[in-house]
Amino acid sequence: MLLLLALGTVCLALRVNFRQGIPLLPEDSIWRLTYRVNGRAKLAGAKLHAAYPSDTRYCRVFHKSLDPTPQGTEPIRPAKSDAREIGVLARRPGSITLSAQFDLHLRPRGGLRLPVEPTLSAENRAEYLRSRKGIEVEDPVVAETLGRLRADPAVKSELVDRVFDFCQTDIRSGGKESPADRSTVQPAAAAKPGGAGKATATDKPGTKEAPSTAAAALKQRWASPLGRARAMVALCRAAKIPARLVTGLEIRPSDDLRPHVWVEAMSDGRWEPYDPLAGFAHDLPHNFVPLRRDGGAVVRESEMADLRLTLTARRIPPPPGQFREEGPRPADVLDLTRLPLELHAPLSVILLMPLGALLTSIFRTVIGVRTFGTFTPTLLALAFVYNDWRAGLVVFFAVLVLGLTSRAALDRLKLLLVPRLSVMLTLVVLTMVFGISLLDYLHWTTSTEAVLLPMVILTMTVERYYLTTEEDGPKFAVQLLAGTLLLAFLCYLVLRWDAVGRWLLEYPELHFFTIALLILLGRYTGYRLTELWRFREFGAAGGEGR
Amino acid sequence: MPRWRLPGRFWAWPSELRRRGVLSMNARNNLYVLPGNPREFYPRVDHKLRTKQICQEHGIPVPETYAVLDRNGDVRRLAQIVEGHHEFVIKPARGSEGRGIVVIVEHDGRQFTTSSGQQTTAADLEYHLSTILSGLYSLAGLPDQALVEQRIVPHPVFEKIAVGGTPDLRVILYRGVPVMAMARLPTRGSRGRANLHQGAVAAAVHLKTGRTFGGVCKDAAVGAHPDTGASIGGVEIPCWKPLLTAAMKLAEVLELAYVGVDFVLDASRGPVVLEANARPGLSIQVANRCGLVPRLKFLDAQPARLLTPQCRVELIELLSQLDGQGPANQ
Repeated sequence: MLLLLALGTVCLALRVNFRQGIPLLPEDSIWRLTYRVNGRAKLAGAKLHAAYPSDTRYCRVFHKSLDPTPQGTEPIRPAKSDAREIGVLARRPGSITLSAQFDLHLRPRGGLRLPVEPTLSAENRAEYLRSRKGIEVEDPVVAETLGRLRADPAVKSELVDRVFDFCQTDIRSGGKESPADRSTVQPAAAAKPGGAGKATATDKPGTKEAPSTAAAALKQRWASPLGRARAMVALCRAAKIPARLVTGLEIRPSDDLRPHVWVEAMSDGRWEPYDPLAGFAHDLPHNFVPLRRDGGAVVRESEMADLRLTLTARRIPPPPGQFREEGPRPADVLDLTRLPLELHAPLSVILLMPLGALLTSIFRTVIGVRTFGTFTPTLLALAFVYNDWRAGLVVFFAVLVLGLTSRAALDRLKLLLVPRLSVMLTLVVLTMVFGISLLDYLHWTTSTEAVLLPMVILTMTVERYYLTTEEDGPKFAVQLLAGTLLLAFLCYLVLRWDAVGRWLLEYPELHFFTIALLILLGRYTGYRLTELWRFREFGAAGGEGR
Repeated sequence: MPRWRLPGRFWAWPSELRRRGVLSMNARNNLYVLPGNPREFYPRVDHKLRTKQICQEHGIPVPETYAVLDRNGDVRRLAQIVEGHHEFVIKPARGSEGRGIVVIVEHDGRQFTTSSGQQTTAADLEYHLSTILSGLYSLAGLPDQALVEQRIVPHPVFEKIAVGGTPDLRVILYRGVPVMAMARLPTRGSRGRANLHQGAVAAAVHLKTGRTFGGVCKDAAVGAHPDTGASIGGVEIPCWKPLLTAAMKLAEVLELAYVGVDFVLDASRGPVVLEANARPGLSIQVANRCGLVPRLKFLDAQPARLLTPQCRVELIELLSQLDGQGPANQ
């Protein structure tokens, strides 16, 4: 144990002393991007999501800091685990300010991260070929323009490049910013309702809004930045080339950075960027970072009003210790913080698991509380961390009650153990699925995520609960259940402990101390707290006591 | 001598427990079970059939086995097996804490009456047997075997202090020497099972004299049976010396340093070994009003050469004088 303690200390000391960050080349730069979103929640349960930059070959987000969650809100995880979003949920109506900082490492030479392109499923492919409001693929003018571009014998280049050239050179820019353009810059709630996609007749000549839809842009050969990008997407889609809009940022020193829209078209199984406004094609300039694919607004909301987003960017000196000057080395494997940000949250939860186990050990050997299964509480807690805990608890009890009822009914059928457990598992799965459906129907879920509890664990809990009731009486079964839930709750608190999770991600060798503590617990021969009650008879006869 | 009183509070301080030498669960596991009981010998006690074989090899009496079922196909043979036996017991070979045990006191091949008076059918029993075989009651949930064996007729000495089931006698031995004993008496609350977790009552048995004293029920000190009101103290256990001899013999051949041996007292055959346990419970200390630690430490201090069968009898006598408490003072 002393060895472990020594090992832990030595590793910590080594890491602190020889901190090695990612290599920093002379032309590389570090930027700090600051988000500030103001808004007013119309009712409790209102949500606010802001997208932050995705990693590219030239840009890597290496640090994210969310200012302490504002009063009356709680942080929510993004719907998709790999989505680059931060979000808060309002617990009560009122104004909310969400601010966050992201530190970016830009490398003009590229090669920071080789983007892994997921293969496009048939469904996604169809989605990227579909006609949409503002992207009128089926409009005759689109087909006509495309036909002309196809037929042009003078140009030998690829069709997508011809489309790009056409959109860049043959569509005029200028005019007033249209509401649709504004809505990609500012959240949709700030745009006037009904304004999107329409060139309204009330505009005065000269300051007319440029068309922001694909069809209008192609007809009038005049478009807003969004209209131009949409025209390109519509033309690509009409040519059966999957294409989409990307909302992103050009990183430059600014106190009011405006998001910008470009196009990504599928070419040889890769998404390639095309920007009819800024004029780049096939490759991103190093200082362009995508925020949202599919052209959504940077900030998404539900039940929010008066949203305002302020984005600032400034170049900062490299933080000490974060960077070094050489190339990658094998020792980097030991540095977990170098992994992409999406991995940080799940990894830190996993790294917190041993603390849950430590808690379980303390409960068992020092306090003496008994639970169903050794790690059932920890696993339940893990499931609750990834879901909304209230919905989780509702589903848990629903599964338990229905599981027990059906277990009692199953007892009559006199089935063998394994088939019976399998029937139980099936019922648990069905209960859970319909439980989720019901929660959704009643709008009780605060998140769109499914409440997926560990099904096998639940099945075994139902079975053990039933058997315990039969063998040792309902009182003992309830005691065990209470113990299980109490421990699960404490484990949940531990697993939610983001600050410690981040620490562990930075210094995983802290777990040497965890192991040392566990060994200490393993050798503990003293009384459990519950034994002080169990052997209470020995206290009174001693004569002195209190 | 401090007299035993009802507790005035709901806990004891660790210092008090330590002074009284109460063995804790953690200490039992870490200091006695883990170092003293090698894992490889556990099957000898965890598998009742093994235990029985070992007992038979060494001339220690056990209940007669009628049949061992290990396949689901055997289950249908039940009626055939028990033909000619009015009463019998079904138990899982790897069961623990008396789980899965069914005692049949009367049957006609189709209708079966359990010891608690419930009626069941052959189909019910066959289902029960198949759940045993599928491992529902086994320690690790592994497929199991089912034993059909002779039912022990409880010795009449327990008539007034055992309700609805068969009482048993537990002896805890350390390094082959009995250190503490108790008689576990079923109650209505325990549904006929001689299991303290399930509400059975236990009376301590004085190692030297074989007389009962003290008592515990649900971790509380009691002196009388909760159902009949009869005093559970002062009962002379018949055949106590042969029982201790059998226990010592068994502990020796099991090669487990810390072991609990469970006996039942058959009206005609005397003490019969039911099972042995490598992690015997700690409530025996409450029944005895006395902690195990001083006795265990005393035995730890004895050199191995002193632990011969001859010396053990003397050690028992010394042990029973170790603690100030005991029947001599009551």
